[in-house]
Amino acid sequence: MNLNPFWSMSTNTGRKVRERSSSSALKANFCQVHPTHKRAERQKNRIFKSSQRDPHTLKRSDSEEQSGEQQQQRASPARPSFGKKQLPSIPKNAVPITKPASPAATAQLANGTHASYGPFYLEYSLLAEFTLVIKQKLPGIYVQPSYKSALMWFGVIFIRHGLYQDGVFKFTVYIPDNYPDGECPRVVFDIPVFHPLVDPVSGELDVRRAFTKWRRNHNHIWQVLMYARTVFYKINTMEPLNPEAAVLYDKDVQLFKSKVIDSVKLCNSHLFDQPKMDDPYAISFSSWNPAIHDEAKERMFTHKRRPEDHHKGLQVSGLSWVKPGSTQPFSKDDNPPLS
Amino acid sequence: MSWLSRLTPRGPGGRSSRNVAPSSPCTADPETCLMVFENHWRQVSWVLEQQDPSSSSDDLTAVRNHTDQMLCLLAEERPGECEGPPGAVTSGNVPPIGPILDLVVSENVLERVVQWHLRRGLDPDSQGALLKLFEMLIGQSQQPLLQHKAVLQPLLGLLGACAEPQLGCPPSLENSLVLLLNQICVSMARAPAVLELLFRSAPAQHGPTNLLIFTLLVPFIHRDGAIGQQARDALLLVMATSASNQGVARYIAENSYFCPVLATGLSALYSSLPRKIEVRGDDWHALRREDWMGVSSLVLFMNSLEFCNAVIQVAHPLVRRQLVDYVHNGFLVPVMGPALHKSSVDEMIASTTYLDLFLRSVTETSLLKAFLRFILMHRHDNDTILDTLLTRINSNSRLCMVSLSLFRTLLSLNCEDLMLQLVLRYLLPCTHVMFSQRRAIRDTDLYGKSADKFLSLIPDCCRLSTAPSAEREEEPALWGKVLNSPSSESPVHHKPSTPSRLALFMRQQSTGGGPCTPSPTETVPSSPGAGPNTPLSPDSPMHPVPEVLDWESGYLEYLRDARRGVELCSWACRNWSAPYDGEDPSPNAAPLPPPPPTSNPSLAMFPEHFSFQQSGSTSPGQQRAAVVAAARSEWSSTERDSGEWDVTIGENSCISLTPRTKKRSLQRDVHIPKPLHLPPDSASLADPSAVPHLRSAPTKGAQQAIINGTLLGGQGDRCRDSQDGGMEVKKVKRELGEQRGAAESSRGLPPHKPSHTQTLSASLLSEPRTNSSNDRMTLRAAASSPGSGPPEAMLFNQSEAVERLISELLDGAGPEEGGQQGPGDSNGQGISIEAFTQELRELEDRVRERSKGVGLLRQLEETTRDPHSGEPPPPSPLDADLMGSGVVAGVVGVFRPLGQTSTQPYTGPFMVVLFAKLENMLQNSLYVNILLTGILGQLACYPQPLLRSFLLNTNMVFQPSVKSLIQVLGSVKSRIETFAASHEDFPAMLKKAQRYLAARGKVDWADSPMGMPTLRRSDALVKSRKPSLGDLILRHTNSPTRARHAAQLALAHVRDGGQSLHSALFRGGSGASGLEKQAEALRVKNAVYCAVIFSEFLKELAALAQEHAVSMPFLQSHDTEE
Repeated sequence: MNLNPFWSMSTNTGRKVRERSSSSALKANFCQVHPTHKRAERQKNRIFKSSQRDPHTLKRSDSEEQSGEQQQQRASPARPSFGKKQLPSIPKNAVPITKPASPAATAQLANGTHASYGPFYLEYSLLAEFTLVIKQKLPGIYVQPSYKSALMWFGVIFIRHGLYQDGVFKFTVYIPDNYPDGECPRVVFDIPVFHPLVDPVSGELDVRRAFTKWRRNHNHIWQVLMYARTVFYKINTMEPLNPEAAVLYDKDVQLFKSKVIDSVKLCNSHLFDQPKMDDPYAISFSSWNPAIHDEAKERMFTHKRRPEDHHKGLQVSGLSWVKPGSTQPFSKDDNPPLS
Repeated sequence: MSWLSRLTPRGPGGRSSRNVAPSSPCTADPETCLMVFENHWRQVSWVLEQQDPSSSSDDLTAVRNHTDQMLCLLAEERPGECEGPPGAVTSGNVPPIGPILDLVVSENVLERVVQWHLRRGLDPDSQGALLKLFEMLIGQSQQPLLQHKAVLQPLLGLLGACAEPQLGCPPSLENSLVLLLNQICVSMARAPAVLELLFRSAPAQHGPTNLLIFTLLVPFIHRDGAIGQQARDALLLVMATSASNQGVARYIAENSYFCPVLATGLSALYSSLPRKIEVRGDDWHALRREDWMGVSSLVLFMNSLEFCNAVIQVAHPLVRRQLVDYVHNGFLVPVMGPALHKSSVDEMIASTTYLDLFLRSVTETSLLKAFLRFILMHRHDNDTILDTLLTRINSNSRLCMVSLSLFRTLLSLNCEDLMLQLVLRYLLPCTHVMFSQRRAIRDTDLYGKSADKFLSLIPDCCRLSTAPSAEREEEPALWGKVLNSPSSESPVHHKPSTPSRLALFMRQQSTGGGPCTPSPTETVPSSPGAGPNTPLSPDSPMHPVPEVLDWESGYLEYLRDARRGVELCSWACRNWSAPYDGEDPSPNAAPLPPPPPTSNPSLAMFPEHFSFQQSGSTSPGQQRAAVVAAARSEWSSTERDSGEWDVTIGENSCISLTPRTKKRSLQRDVHIPKPLHLPPDSASLADPSAVPHLRSAPTKGAQQAIINGTLLGGQGDRCRDSQDGGMEVKKVKRELGEQRGAAESSRGLPPHKPSHTQTLSASLLSEPRTNSSNDRMTLRAAASSPGSGPPEAMLFNQSEAVERLISELLDGAGPEEGGQQGPGDSNGQGISIEAFTQELRELEDRVRERSKGVGLLRQLEETTRDPHSGEPPPPSPLDADLMGSGVVAGVVGVFRPLGQTSTQPYTGPFMVVLFAKLENMLQNSLYVNILLTGILGQLACYPQPLLRSFLLNTNMVFQPSVKSLIQVLGSVKSRIETFAASHEDFPAMLKKAQRYLAARGKVDWADSPMGMPTLRRSDALVKSRKPSLGDLILRHTNSPTRARHAAQLALAHVRDGGQSLHSALFRGGSGASGLEKQAEALRVKNAVYCAVIFSEFLKELAALAQEHAVSMPFLQSHDTEE
């Protein structure tokens, strides 16, 4: 069922990009995914309700489809050993982003004021944000929250036309831990793209200009992602983080274009690099391997999302005899006259 | 599919096993066999050719012996392997027929034998022999026989004889006949072409009833035991085989009584169901399979209902549609309708419970649709069934519980039409929210504001906090405990360092497969996490965590179950016609929902019931006898007269007699002062019998006063009802007439036939005992359970307390009565059925004589019937006419516009009654609260923004007159707090209550794997949501045996839990001082349990609110169909 356009779109674009990248004969940099990682991914996927359920496919090694291609091995018997390799490596306070252990916060909680969003609500708020992202079906953008923290999302953006055409830029979204009451999330490209609004050193995109004041209920993370996509189509040179790019764009577009092409090439040449972040959910690319990916792709296309414990016998439910547009019960004529 | 899958292996299996045995003798040389056969045939034909009509018995014996031998040979003959012998008539068959069969065909052996038998007059003996012979032949034959006219014709001749009125089929031969028919159907299912042959070859001889097999089988549809089962199996095979045959389907629909018999048979069977469901367990609220398996009348009914369901599953659409119509017009409307409107509480309880059971059992959508259409659209006395059911939620008895249980079943169907009528149509105009808020309807609660609000409503007094234990400092332990699940083998859960890991663990558990007990380990005293604040602060181990009792499962469990609930519900609703999000359907276009009733019907209703009850319980026999003579017996019956059998089949028949005697009434009077059957936990009352004695005198006086009033009112009622009854009879008659033609149209089917009622009544009079014992179904549930207090322990006011007492008194009288009658309902249930089939036979005879020229009349009747089959929501003029009182229709016309004038926003009776009930939580019994919160939880799973925002969006601003859930909960909270403040031992009681509930839930939970009802397994799975303590506790206690078992276990587990809770609670009442203290103890007990349930309910709601924010919609099923 879940021929969610979002996901199917991802496969389409994926194919496009794949053809190109394989034709450019980039070295097959196959990313080995550790079994534990796989399990971890599976778990993680479930949290975020990633709709793909596809055993035997390593999403990390998928070439382009990231979040869309997350699979989970439902039948995996390996649960008891879950996290054996992972968990010790994650120290208690290793996640800097979610450390609401501050006495202030707890004091507030103890007071019974529920106003400070405890980490628990935070968790669900981020889940909800992620759900919104999925519902938005942003073209060419895929994100996947990190295993270690819900406050860090890995993403990749595919630019399909314009100056940055064929660009595949990996990025990370950092969400402030006092979300949604804090600053707007930060977007940092793995490789600083040559762009007036991208810091040439840190790779950070200037998001704040679009979200001067982060207002909960009004601002959402999908908007940030949308913004991150827009900057590559509509180039803004005001108050640039990369003055060189800004000046070039205004003064010498040809040179700007060639610099952009170089930058895109650079980014794409590092596409198959190991992810910068050592996180099981970090997005990694590999070249097309029919043994792995064909089946995964097939499953993606045929997959139908069902409730988690959906039973076959549930056929008697979800009845409706209401004619669309009517609010009268039994208004639908589902008994066409028989000959 | 279960039916068919059960059937198919039986046919071939039985056959092959039989084939094994005769195969050895038949290894004999085919030539020899043929010679032997010819030899026998020569001798038989010699006898047959005797023209002497008075053949001797020697002849008969000879023919029979020879035929035996011949048919054995024929059955054992294998199909020829070489090319067929010369002169083979059947050229189409791929394997050439064997020489014997060939001879049989060419000489027309069977036809001649049968004709000879028929000519000389068939005595039952040889009729039976022939039936058995054919059964053997068809069942064991090695080659297909029925294709041959030479086999088929004599077979039909024999069957035709069995169907003939003067000969018929003596009861002793019924088994053989049904077995033969079954065999025919089995071979027909294997070779569907036979159906066509059967269908076509018959008309010449048998006129209208050209599908003879069918006609013969129909009377056995509702039969008990193996014979009924065989007949139903056979019919089902016919149905399945004919599913693609338009002609046969048309025949079944138009020329056979299959559908009317099946549907009205349900009516007959229904009328023999126990009128009163007698239960001891105070938590009983629904019939489970184990409950009804022991009640033969119910088993019989359920068999037929399941059969209906199966037929609808496999039959041709024409048949399916007709059957569904008949179930609606022949069972639901004329029988279920009045049954649900019985005036006695016990009968209301029984009929509601039955309806619930039926709804849970039906799996075919079209049949379910008939039920739902009946509930939503059918008007009985002006009100839809739904309205009637809704008002009963407001009662404070078991009636409330069974009604809630019914609504739970209904909600679990996720039916758009139902939800529309129940809730959504009231919310559609969006008048319940401030205009400026309409946009907010679709908002999702991204940041957990609503969840936060719900959790904040948990009363402080319910947060049992102690000093933090050292153990809690350690996070792994903390998490391990929160997730304390037996299914997780790994002893150490690594604690998640971020919230996302928290959810991850949650998810992991959800796939754990095994049921997660609500961390029942008594040894671990501190399972943190379930408090509203605590699970949210996994990273702050230092901060004191309010202790939550070990029994309490974590909030994570609630989240997980909420996710499942929301997901399943939105998946189920994916095909709804509209999103109901405040924009589609448009609020402006939405028709104005019906306004609130001007006077609260629920309030108006219940006093009436109670007065009926009282009058029934105490009115002198003479008075009652007079009433019975004067008016409709059905309506004069009260639930207390469970022994009477006033209307057996004819719910609608005007002339039914009541075998009720004065003597019985007198006996009942004697019973009344008998000791109260007090629930076990009140056993501490020193002298229970003293109390009733004290109370009964004044009550009686009061009742006398009421009786007169009631009788007056009752008369009026009866008048109306008699008209009503008349209407039903007419209606049914017309429908049947349609089938039967004008000649019979004046006679209805047995259940509705006045003349027949006399026979019935006579038989009933002759066997009043068995009937009356049958009339009661006793379900002894957890009588010894520590939790069983008086079931409906709502003692709001004195009068209710009095009524409760009375009903308890009468309950006490029950068993003795039962004892007199003799236990069990083993006999007696067959009577009405027997008569019914008898009647059916008569009808068939009549029909056989009937000429075929009734088409015109039928058409005429069809037009008159249309309004009924067309289910117009408002009563049509014809309906009104049928009701026999234009007044009634007039009332509708007047009443509605009056109400319409009020423009107050109204969220509908369902919400109003649920909220009202919820607001009274403190006084509700534990079980009512569990069901009630379960239903609200179910409603809160619905993803439609209108409903979701109404229930779960705590930031919504509603119109001042609209009460919101959060307001109601707030008022409950303050009541609980007030209560807690006034009882200094509240914390201790709360703790005990929690422990008791946990232990009880644990027992139930452990019990669960076997407890699934087989009819709709998945449904039960869906319902077995663990966290709502409700289901947990109630799920298995319905069954008598299991409940008792559970109760014993619970007792063992929490000797100092539940037990001492009760003793503590009843400490005040332990003296003989009586009712006041007992009532007070009950009040305290209810309040304490309420506090527990309330806190859990808030967690459930909070979890649901959170899950809604992260749920993904499902797409419509046209792209999701597998």
